[in-house]
Amino acid sequence: MTTLQLCLVISSLLFCIGLVGALSRSHTILVLLGIELMLNAANMNFIAFWRFGASPTAATGVLFAIFSIAVAAAEAAVGLALVIAVYRHQKSVRLEEANRLKG
Amino acid sequence: MNLDYAGLFRALAPETAIVVGALAVLGVDLTLLRGRSLATRMNVAALISALSVLVAFMLNGTCPCGRCWVGASGPVFGGALMFDSLANATRGGILGLVLLTIGVSTGARINRNPAEYLSILLFATVGFLLMAAAQQLLVAFLSLELASLSLYILAGFDKTRPDSAEAGLKYFLFGGMSAAFLLFGFSLLYGLTGSIELNHVADGLRHQGISPLLIVALVMVIVAFGFKAAAAPFHLWAPDAYQGAPTPSAALIASASKLAGIVFFARLLWSGLGFSAGNVSYAFTSVGWLPIVAVLSGVSMFVGNLAALAQTNVRRLLAYSAISHAGILLLGLIAVSRNGTSPIFYYATTYGIATAGAFGVIGVLERQGGCDSISDLAGLYRRSPLLAGCLMVFILSLAGVPPLAGFFGKFYVFAATLKLAGLAGVAGWLTILAILFSAVALYYYMVVLKQALVVAPAKDATPVRVPIAAAVTLVLAAIAIVAFGIWPSVLLGAV
Repeated sequence: MTTLQLCLVISSLLFCIGLVGALSRSHTILVLLGIELMLNAANMNFIAFWRFGASPTAATGVLFAIFSIAVAAAEAAVGLALVIAVYRHQKSVRLEEANRLKG
Repeated sequence: MNLDYAGLFRALAPETAIVVGALAVLGVDLTLLRGRSLATRMNVAALISALSVLVAFMLNGTCPCGRCWVGASGPVFGGALMFDSLANATRGGILGLVLLTIGVSTGARINRNPAEYLSILLFATVGFLLMAAAQQLLVAFLSLELASLSLYILAGFDKTRPDSAEAGLKYFLFGGMSAAFLLFGFSLLYGLTGSIELNHVADGLRHQGISPLLIVALVMVIVAFGFKAAAAPFHLWAPDAYQGAPTPSAALIASASKLAGIVFFARLLWSGLGFSAGNVSYAFTSVGWLPIVAVLSGVSMFVGNLAALAQTNVRRLLAYSAISHAGILLLGLIAVSRNGTSPIFYYATTYGIATAGAFGVIGVLERQGGCDSISDLAGLYRRSPLLAGCLMVFILSLAGVPPLAGFFGKFYVFAATLKLAGLAGVAGWLTILAILFSAVALYYYMVVLKQALVVAPAKDATPVRVPIAAAVTLVLAAIAIVAFGIWPSVLLGAV
């Protein structure tokens, strides 16, 4: 197995762990962590493809990863703000209690 | 790659105008209007935002006179952005829908921070505008995230209501997950082709067949698309977000965001991944992303229409109707290869006007009492004939009654899909399904109209006072629906 394949296997594993975490956890913070894991798996892909790809001189993959890390940080900020907004009303951040809207 | 900063600045003049407008809204509110009443602050903020959107509309080159400013055309900044007729028309449409949303916000319940609200709305608009022109995966991802993050904030903006916070959080959790899917799909596309420019990606994919890695990438991109378009089975956020979010936010999510999203993915899928589209024109489909889109389209029409029948809340009903309309939009996306993008552009724009207008009517009613269940609309024709008339135009257009724009939207989409191969394949069968479901949809739209136009008002019902800006906006939107129905070529010819 080449290093690139190893990287891809690890990143896919990371993505799946994040997805399962995001779908199965009922605590909002843990769901956020799951989403961050999924984003980081994609970043790892970018770095791996850049390092072992056809043109490692053009820094495309690295740049994409840097931008996506910045976006992930902004996303975490918005997410935590919304978590706090929900907490103010229901004094809890568990998702099963966020059930006012249904039908 | 030639990096022409002057050309970039010229092409992005509309975005610049809107960002300046957003900062001006905040600046004026924080300096000149300290201590003024909430209504004054709201009106000034709405006026400045509307002006900046109008300036952006002129700078986009979509001004009807066509002489005041010629917008950008062709690839800009080394192909990172593409200003073809679709991009320019979509940007004009987005600006029109945002203007409509600003008008809706003047009629809806005023929140405590009107300037912050409208400036975030303008930042979301910048995201939409860039989405319409993005021709490179990085620009595409960043513009999508700028728009999405602003929309999450707008959905959770009303801090006084627990519903709003919950709607924002649910929208965010689904949206964050779909962004991760999209990014992972993009990383695989980059790995397969070694480039993030859409036309290089297309070149790269032409020379290699369908590989397992490509299929994973396609599925990931389609999942993100399904979320953005609110197509079943990725629609679960939509009813909650539409119900809980402040009314103007819901109108924006349903109109401008949808138009930008469908054009964004039409460009990504057809000009970037067009060589791995597959085929659904005939009974035996071939591998690609088209069969997945066809399945999403059918499921969306099924789930959206049947679930809408059971709704008692107006906003949830509009949400499920949005899901069924997403099904028809996906059907139109299938036919882009042969008939171009003008049917889906026309459909998404006119649908956006009608649904944002309907939310505008709900917003005005909400400010004076409430408008949760469909029965709250009872006797609207007595309480406010103007609102009842506008609502009738919007709802009939959503239902697809001629001569309104909604009918011609459906007509062009169905004609385009039937031209593919008639009834020989999946695309044709889905068209028949869509036509059948249009009859189902007519029922739940009529339930809304019956309450508004036939049922007598409740005993304690008072006349509704409509703010002047909101009244003008709603009447203009209703006129636009009628006019685009009578002269569809105005919109169809723009693409």
